[in-house]
Amino acid sequence: MTRSSFGQARVSVALIILSLFVSSCTSSANGRFYGKTEVPKANVLKYVSGSEPESLDPQVPTGQPEARILMAMYDGLLEYHPKTMEPIPAIAESWETSSDGTEYVFNLRKNAKFSNGDPITAKDFVYTLRRAMSPELAAQNAYLAYYIKYSEAYNGGKMFVQDEKGNFLIKKDFDPESGGGEASASTIGADSGFHQFIKAPERLTVASDTFTLAKTLEGDDKLKPFFKIKASELKDSSAFVSQVNNGTDGVSRLLQAKLGNALTGCAATCDETAKQNLIDGLNKILAEESLNSAENTEGLTLSEAAKKLIGKFEAENKKIADANQKLDQEIAAAETAEDKEAKTKKKKKPLTKFFYTNRVLLEGYYSGSFAKMPLVTVKGEDMGVEAIDDYTLRITLYQPAPFFLGLLPHQFFRVVHQRTIETHKENWVKPQNIVTSGAFKLVVNKPYDQLVVEKDPNNWDASNVKLDRIEFYPLDEQTTMMNLYKANEVHATYNHTTPAAWNEVVREFKDEYLNHPEVANEYYCFNVKKFPTDNPKIRQAFALAIDRDGLSKFRKTTKPLFNFVPEGILTKYDEARTKIFAEELKANKISAEDWGKRMFDAEQARRILTEAGYPVVKDGDSWSCPTFPVDKVSVTYNTSESNKATAEFMQSQWKQNLGITVPLKNMEWKTFLPVRKVVDYQGLARSGWVGDYMDPYTFLNLFYRDPNDSSTGWHDPKFDKMLDEANKEIDPQKRFEILARAEFLMLQNQPVLPLQTQATNWIKKPFVKGMYPNPGTLHAWKFIYLERDPSKWDTQVENLMKVNDAAVDEQLKQLEASQKAFEANKPAASKPAAAKLD
Amino acid sequence: MFSFIIRRLLIIFPMVLLVVSVTWGLIRMAPGNFYSGEKKLPAAIEENIKEKYGLNEPIYMQYLIMMGNVLRLDFGVSLKYTDRPVNQIIRDHFPYSATLGIFAYLLALVIGLSAGFIAALKQNTAADYASMSLAMLGQSVPNFVVGPILVIVFSLWLYIFPPARAGGFMNYVLPVITLSAIYAAYIARLTRAGMLEVLRSDYIRTARAKGLDEKTVLFRHALKGGLIPVVSFTGPALAALLAGTVVVERVFAIPGLGNIFIQSVLNRDEPLILGIVAFLSILIMAFNLIVDISYAFLDPRIRYE
Repeated sequence: MTRSSFGQARVSVALIILSLFVSSCTSSANGRFYGKTEVPKANVLKYVSGSEPESLDPQVPTGQPEARILMAMYDGLLEYHPKTMEPIPAIAESWETSSDGTEYVFNLRKNAKFSNGDPITAKDFVYTLRRAMSPELAAQNAYLAYYIKYSEAYNGGKMFVQDEKGNFLIKKDFDPESGGGEASASTIGADSGFHQFIKAPERLTVASDTFTLAKTLEGDDKLKPFFKIKASELKDSSAFVSQVNNGTDGVSRLLQAKLGNALTGCAATCDETAKQNLIDGLNKILAEESLNSAENTEGLTLSEAAKKLIGKFEAENKKIADANQKLDQEIAAAETAEDKEAKTKKKKKPLTKFFYTNRVLLEGYYSGSFAKMPLVTVKGEDMGVEAIDDYTLRITLYQPAPFFLGLLPHQFFRVVHQRTIETHKENWVKPQNIVTSGAFKLVVNKPYDQLVVEKDPNNWDASNVKLDRIEFYPLDEQTTMMNLYKANEVHATYNHTTPAAWNEVVREFKDEYLNHPEVANEYYCFNVKKFPTDNPKIRQAFALAIDRDGLSKFRKTTKPLFNFVPEGILTKYDEARTKIFAEELKANKISAEDWGKRMFDAEQARRILTEAGYPVVKDGDSWSCPTFPVDKVSVTYNTSESNKATAEFMQSQWKQNLGITVPLKNMEWKTFLPVRKVVDYQGLARSGWVGDYMDPYTFLNLFYRDPNDSSTGWHDPKFDKMLDEANKEIDPQKRFEILARAEFLMLQNQPVLPLQTQATNWIKKPFVKGMYPNPGTLHAWKFIYLERDPSKWDTQVENLMKVNDAAVDEQLKQLEASQKAFEANKPAASKPAAAKLD
Repeated sequence: MFSFIIRRLLIIFPMVLLVVSVTWGLIRMAPGNFYSGEKKLPAAIEENIKEKYGLNEPIYMQYLIMMGNVLRLDFGVSLKYTDRPVNQIIRDHFPYSATLGIFAYLLALVIGLSAGFIAALKQNTAADYASMSLAMLGQSVPNFVVGPILVIVFSLWLYIFPPARAGGFMNYVLPVITLSAIYAAYIARLTRAGMLEVLRSDYIRTARAKGLDEKTVLFRHALKGGLIPVVSFTGPALAALLAGTVVVERVFAIPGLGNIFIQSVLNRDEPLILGIVAFLSILIMAFNLIVDISYAFLDPRIRYE
């Protein structure tokens, strides 16, 4: 290459690149559609499904990317409505709910088949659920089915307890507070032996793990008598004595030295008094000194199990002691008497050593069962799932769970093929082995590249399945999928995929960009157990100082949220909430104006913070709060661009309105999780929740009982009671009202700072029809089709959810007909109360 | 020479065990685990998982079991992708990375060597400055910038090459160019520097003094010596290229090993991390060995005993 030609080439290359840049930027904004838009020749949908699916076993993965793929490959009793996500008939053509809401009977259609042609019967569902809940499968989603009677016990490997006559103990005798367990008169479907068992009052179950069991027993005087936990109840105490007396191991020597008289007494007569002396002696040495102290353990040869148990026990006591010590310091530092009292109450007693250590010592000699009567492990067969006949399935719950039907379309409840799984074991999902039950069956699975499914002619609803194939591309690089979309190599993407930087441009294409409320929220948790956010006033001030409208304008894709349950999706609940909140405001003497101001009122925020003892003062043009312990508060969030942007916005709001600069702390996702889980952060932590089903309970449940999943440390028995009450309520609207009251109670305490209802954020080509931005972005694939006639494309659409598509409506009508007919033909007496979810 | 190779081969084995052990320790020290997620698991479910994956065993047992797996070269099943054995994942995805890597390597060699060679011969001319500025550019513009620019130009505007995804030859063009850019630039600079040094050395002067024609001097004598720095760079570079590169694999959605490796760490997918680490360390040590051997052929002064 000569000198001059090289120079020319360089200039021309630079020019070409520059011109391309300019033209590519301008062309995209002016076009009618976003990028190349052509209906593909083949009837195939190309969909970006997100990160690589963890497994194709519907009971295993937990993520949404998998959920969407599995929905194509498997059918369940019910399916999601393409727009509202409410349950619509699938393999169950109709169903019935008992009047108390604890029993469901599903009538299955007779033409449902697996992809290999085998019929799908009620037995397959029984198998699916038993397998799903088995401890061996260790499914992370198992909690979804915990409403089914004895399923939690089975999943947790628990055991039934018998009394000496062999009768099983009943739960409510021991725990009258616990909900459920009542024998219920209302019942549907044919009676059977199993049905009598499952409808009988709930049996008591205990943990099989000895340590947990021991802990339960220690605190339960009612239950203790059913277990042989004292030395006096040893069948052969003299054997124990002689073993100790003749023993040469460390424990024996220790006991000989310390028990002396008691042992002699017992060895000589072994009457009740002597036995009691023995126990007292044992307890005494253990109470006086720690078994773990050096001089005592010297030369001891404890069994491995015993050592482990003692270790756990000591660790627990150490934790308590540490916590108490900290509290002591705080008590010393506390200023008011009230504060002192409150903190003193928080102190915990150390666990008594008697029971645990006695047990350890004794068990070393008398290994074997710990109970008087053999404990009976809860089996899959005990679960409340019964095939009444081949096409009738009955599911029995512990207690009413009005949202239960809404859970059933979840992939966790979708049916799998027993023979395939038993033959191929863990290899059953390999393309050459897999047998599926859905509208589409697997043809190609190239991990990280593509997963192709094609229409299954064996499916019961095959005539309504419109696509020939779906190609799922497991990618999660946003820019890459946008490029593929613009090149028409992808027709739709999964949720939350438009990169923030592209948003400005993409949102202009209203027919393709889908921004709708989602059944998910984002919020900051307050650590209500740690100073200073343990003070509700401080929490309130922090919440009031945030302009959430400003936040959602800043974030562009979100909608501000002031309550905890997302707004604008659960319309019936929104109504109930409006009504109840108005009532509560009246009762609490809060004016509507003040309540309205909770959304953002910097003035009030400063006043409250000042009342709390941290005066906010004017400092030139801005505010400052010099006494606030800034070093005790921070915002912790998991590393991500959008979380960082939100946190910075929050930080500037607090700075501007309260004069407090809250430090930000980001953590890698998996590092962040345990910190938040055990409420170990300072001040605030970022959190979000995606509803498992379309009901407010999936959100409010986070604050239920103690410890709960809210990661705030907040808990209120009144709140728990309201939730229990709500679920016993049969009338859906009344139930929502009770839930709204509970939400109000929680919000009053401000354990969280709600930020926004999440919004869907994805794109689809205008020729893809029957695909909606429903609250979970979970698509029932059989409704989706490619429209070849450009005049029928989705164009000029303001709100896709309000557009009626005759093809989809007709398909829905057909599907829902069976349940409607069933309800119409039913005798009035057994009218279902909560058959349909709102 | 032979005994040197044997010695080096033998040392690979304990080195891999060491690398795997350290990695294992680091994974165990990292907070979080493969099943932690946004939704907290009920205790019973967590217990089931621990039981299933042997996490209830004492820690030294877990280490021994892991080591046993490594010795048998069977890393078990991925914790995240529960139906895929680690060995199969490596077998399935390594070819993608390797294809991409080998082509990028060859392209980088061709461009880098010729540009460097020309620059060295025409030192301080426009050709030298031009190729060295390009090299500087190639080295300083990261591939997450080069990639998207190529996509905008050649996929979205000209519709010549597909924007992403593995497939036929056309799919590989853009990622190969993107990946090779930085290596080509570096090789060009190394070649130039190496050649310049050799051209000034005594034995070249001797060769020229002997009256050898310029072609022989350059290609028979100078090039071999000038290539030594290049070889010591390209050996490990080839290993790195074969192992997969996260950015290019993500931008172009190539299902290679690099992306999977990063994901496995984020997922705390222990068997998969260990499998890939062991595989990569063997690969890198093997390439280092090859580099060391090739020195002997390139420079007669280097001998191994």
